[in-house]
Amino acid sequence: MILRLLSLLSAMTLALVVQTVSLTADETCQSPYMPKITGQEQFVYVWTLGMEGVGDESDKLVTVDVRPGSKTFGKVVNSHSVGGRHEAHHAGFTADRKYLWAGGLDTNNIYIYDVHTDPSKPKLDKTITTFVADTGGAVGPHTFYALPGRMMITALSNDKDNSGRTALVEYSNEGKYIATHWVPTDKDPRGAKIEKVADGYGYDVRVLPRKNVMLSSSFTGWSNYMMDFGQMLKDEEAMKRFGQTVTLWDLHTRQPKKVFHVPGSPLEIRWAWGDDANYAYTSTALTSKLWLIKEDDKGEWQATEVADIGDPSKIPLPVDISIGADDKTMWVNTFMDGKTRLFDVSNPEAPKQIYEKQIGNQVNMVSQSWDGDRVYFTSSLLANWDKKGDQNDQYLKAYTWDGKELKEQFEIDFVKEGLGRAHIMRFGSSELYTG
Amino acid sequence: MRTLLRALALLLVAGPLSAAALYAAAGPDWADDALKRVLAPPLGLPAIAHPAANPPTAAKIALGRKLFFDRRLSHNNTTSCAMCHVPEQGFTSNDLATPVGVEGRSVRRNTPTVLNIAYVDALFHDGRDPALETQYVAPITAFNEMANPSLGYVIDKIANLDDYNAPFQAAFGAGPSPDRLGQALAAYQRSLLAGASPFDRWRFGGESDALGERERQGFELFTGKAGCVACHAIGESSALFSDGLFHDTGYGWQREQERQGKGGMVEVEIAPGVITSIPHSVVQSVGNPPPADLGRYEVTQDPKDRWRFRTPSLRNVTLTAPYMHDGQLQRLDDVVAFYNAGGVPHDGLDERIKPLGLTVEEQVALVAFLKSLTGSNIDQLAAEARVEEPDNIR
Ligand code: HEC
Ligand code: HEC
Repeated sequence: MILRLLSLLSAMTLALVVQTVSLTADETCQSPYMPKITGQEQFVYVWTLGMEGVGDESDKLVTVDVRPGSKTFGKVVNSHSVGGRHEAHHAGFTADRKYLWAGGLDTNNIYIYDVHTDPSKPKLDKTITTFVADTGGAVGPHTFYALPGRMMITALSNDKDNSGRTALVEYSNEGKYIATHWVPTDKDPRGAKIEKVADGYGYDVRVLPRKNVMLSSSFTGWSNYMMDFGQMLKDEEAMKRFGQTVTLWDLHTRQPKKVFHVPGSPLEIRWAWGDDANYAYTSTALTSKLWLIKEDDKGEWQATEVADIGDPSKIPLPVDISIGADDKTMWVNTFMDGKTRLFDVSNPEAPKQIYEKQIGNQVNMVSQSWDGDRVYFTSSLLANWDKKGDQNDQYLKAYTWDGKELKEQFEIDFVKEGLGRAHIMRFGSSELYTG
Repeated sequence: MRTLLRALALLLVAGPLSAAALYAAAGPDWADDALKRVLAPPLGLPAIAHPAANPPTAAKIALGRKLFFDRRLSHNNTTSCAMCHVPEQGFTSNDLATPVGVEGRSVRRNTPTVLNIAYVDALFHDGRDPALETQYVAPITAFNEMANPSLGYVIDKIANLDDYNAPFQAAFGAGPSPDRLGQALAAYQRSLLAGASPFDRWRFGGESDALGERERQGFELFTGKAGCVACHAIGESSALFSDGLFHDTGYGWQREQERQGKGGMVEVEIAPGVITSIPHSVVQSVGNPPPADLGRYEVTQDPKDRWRFRTPSLRNVTLTAPYMHDGQLQRLDDVVAFYNAGGVPHDGLDERIKPLGLTVEEQVALVAFLKSLTGSNIDQLAAEARVEEPDNIR
């Protein structure tokens, strides 16, 4: 109870702070609570999956120098192996941006890196190995989202049956467990209004403090995200176990309010940045659609399907999305065909694809600088979902974007370099810490 | 009172699956109840022949349960026996045709239930292990299941976990060893007896109205025209619904033909009711090729055993979907349709498998009969299984 109150208070005070900070925000998918890199990013941190037969086979945090003019521009300047494979996946900074939390979807380990002491050389500060026991059975720490003084973490599964039923979890920045919020289900809606079904699944989480709302999306449980992708596509039972919901929460009280019906596994959530833009996008991985979640004239939140991504009947599998800081464009990657697609989202109700480019045989994550001039791509989706054999290229590729054309700046072959499967990218800069 | 408190505590701490466990509550004395069950099995189940070296005790059963649910028993602490043999899913997994082990590695066969496993003499679909006391070594050390580097490694790991001192002492007066691990796991699994189903009450309990008319018609077919009982045996005073032997129904052979046949389209359900077709080559680009499965032959190397699999019990079959050794049939209707068509004719097909000429109505009756085989104490077994949260690193 006391914790509740505290969290309520801190969320409220910080909601005020946020308003002022968000205007100077940089990379377009970060928490609004976070201090920002206003100009050129200096380093790209790549949370990388160990790959059998490649290098030391271990998960690692790879640091790439992207300072223009630097002697080591476009080169790996640091690599820290954690030992073992944990299904390295997403990573996120604390709100003070001094630490990077990087999670393992398989073993539930969370690695907390100090990125401020020497941004060119992140140092492992702490490892949390008790996530499942702490949370009362949540499995698969996924999104690490900065709230004031604490991390909001989505899980993907649970320790009872490896299904998608799961929770949102809070830890303090110091690594102390705070609270578990189970995602509402049909059996236990926890007061939420349910549009059609409440599967209780999780994936991403993002907040809009101005409106006191938080959104979470839904993927699938451990047994699916760990499974050989080809095997799964043929397993009719397994294919029935994908998320079909986006949940709207009260940010302050963490109470679920509404469960939208968004079939086909909605993954990444991106809020628009505009001061009066009360909407977010998500893309559904299996059904290949863009969805808009928006507050209507009556103050009710609604989810609507607004565009196809590629030809949905071919399962292009949209994965990461990245919205432009001006809310006018959005990059959408499709894993199966290895393409990035730029959508004009100036009319949020009717996004239109205006550009596409083949990045590799497969492509997963996309990150852009705040000004949108630089766009980075990585290749790996999940260890057992990545393409097999020759098609399994693993890379970080850096491009410039001039509004018309993506031009490649450099590419790092993560297999040749003995690193592994390249997953999420996060930007670092020493200027964040020099006052 | 203590039971009630326990149930309340469960309510408070339990995560996503608490509801199922709450239908029936298990108190601190649950292992005593389990022991009683092992010594006097529910209606319809025969007495258990316990190995002389491993008589059941409540302490062994309690320790076995703890081991069965301990995720630390796998190399990277993610996979317990119960992550594949899920209590609320009939001690198998309804979510998957074939399971995944440590690091998501593929396992080629469907997870069988461990309900009533006390009566199985030849364990695994191919019958390769004769005893529950030794069976566990396979999943514990299999690279694609729990992936431990060696058996000794696990014994040593358990010996170094504080919470195992007391239960091993209580059960054996000694610490962990390969034998004792096997004995405890076996004792717990033997206690998972699910009987006194509507069928049992009708057939062995003298309750003539425990089965409806349709179920009784299904029974007539099962033991008559459809000939199922020839392999899924029913006795005079008890029934296991298995002869414990290995047969070729044509199913395994057919799966091998499909495995070798490349090309074509694969139907994928991308959202409930939304199905699309993609080329097999696309599926192959993100998947490892499925391995072959020759069944009993892999154990005996006798050519006549190719594609023979052990007759599974049909008890609790409603709870154990999907079906067959690779889980590719999803509903009981599909299985009955398979038999009605005469299996898959080829050299080696068991002669008792032939077109049955069952009408639609008869097939419905047969399925209704199969659905009457669910034990009355399933919720109790699940509640006992969840008497504590699964073990994780603390
Ligand atoms: C990764 C999933 C998985 C895990 C973990 C697992 N099992 Fe199994 N289990 C299976 C599968 C699949 C089979 C059938 C394998 C075969 O026939 O080759 C099986 C078979 C069995 C059988 C034989 C059932 C029968 O009908 O013959 C028993 C008993 C059993 N498991 C017990 C255990 C125990 C005890 C553990 C933990 C030490 C365990 N299992 C861990 C998937 C699993
Ligand atoms: C010749 C012996 C034989 C006969 C006759 C037979 N079965 Fe089977 N049954 C088997 C075998 C062997 C399997 C396992 C096949 C496999 O996994 O590939 C099996 C599997 C099944 C299964 C799947 C169970 C599971 O858990 O996966 C069902 C249900 C079933 N049989 C029902 C029937 C019915 C109903 C009939 C009568 C129409 C019948 N069987 C006749 C031998 C037989």
